[in-house]
Amino acid sequence: MRQAGIYSGILSGGISGRTGPHSLPLARIKKIMKRSGEDVKMISGEAPIVFSKACELFIEELTVRAWMVTLQGKRRTLHKEDVMAAVSATDLFDFLVDLVSVSNGNGHANVVANSHDMVFER
Amino acid sequence: MAEAPGSPGGSGGDGSPKSGVREQDRYLPIANISRIMKKALPANGKIAKDAKETVQECVSEFISFITSEASDKCQKEKRKTINGDDLLWAMATLGFEDYIEPLKLYLQKYREMEGDSKATAKGSDGSVRKEAGLLHGGTQPGSSSQGMAQHVSFTQGMNYMHPQFHNGDLSG
Repeated sequence: MRQAGIYSGILSGGISGRTGPHSLPLARIKKIMKRSGEDVKMISGEAPIVFSKACELFIEELTVRAWMVTLQGKRRTLHKEDVMAAVSATDLFDFLVDLVSVSNGNGHANVVANSHDMVFER
Repeated sequence: MAEAPGSPGGSGGDGSPKSGVREQDRYLPIANISRIMKKALPANGKIAKDAKETVQECVSEFISFITSEASDKCQKEKRKTINGDDLLWAMATLGFEDYIEPLKLYLQKYREMEGDSKATAKGSDGSVRKEAGLLHGGTQPGSSSQGMAQHVSFTQGMNYMHPQFHNGDLSG
């Protein structure tokens, strides 16, 4: 019965009541973790909790950087190309370059190339 | 019934045409991702569906990237379980050191609430309270009383539906 007390605290830092105290579902995070490698078998209870917040920070950062690209194009809708441009302009996101260019395939290469001379500040 | 040539064998009808893995095993829910993205934009900003899907893929990649690094560390140290500290270490190693402080705070808050609820569940058992107190190690003074206030406000009503008001005015 008292269990709900756990939720009330972290919620102030979370987003909505739908996924409990965290903004992202822990079970799903765990599944994705297990898919990352053969050796990933045991995961402590705290690990998905760390990720629920880390992913939130990551999504925010990626979105803000992509939004700057949107604004530079004098647009109001954030598109996939903006996310891709933000990825290729940010060293931190180097690990995403393959993913973004593979899923891209054709057409957007010029957008990505242009983004190299953009300067991002936070 | 005619069989489509070259169709993947044994597709479960989960709506995952390319790989045999269900989408819900590979990605976080797009609604949650969309909500976090919107929060990062000004009110007049819009987000196209393809942007959400791209971010969705990126987040899974992020989880794998960090997890692999943490897993390598565990193997080297001959440990079987990946814990929260391994992930923090991996993030710092891979350039996400800005995330460490907010994550530590988040964990601390989580442990605090866990500790509080355990202590409450056990009634007025002193030893449990002591243990919970240890977990709070570096907490600033006042934060635990804030935790209690949140506890009280929760029992008073369904405040958890309005998290934005949670930390604010307690007099109302």
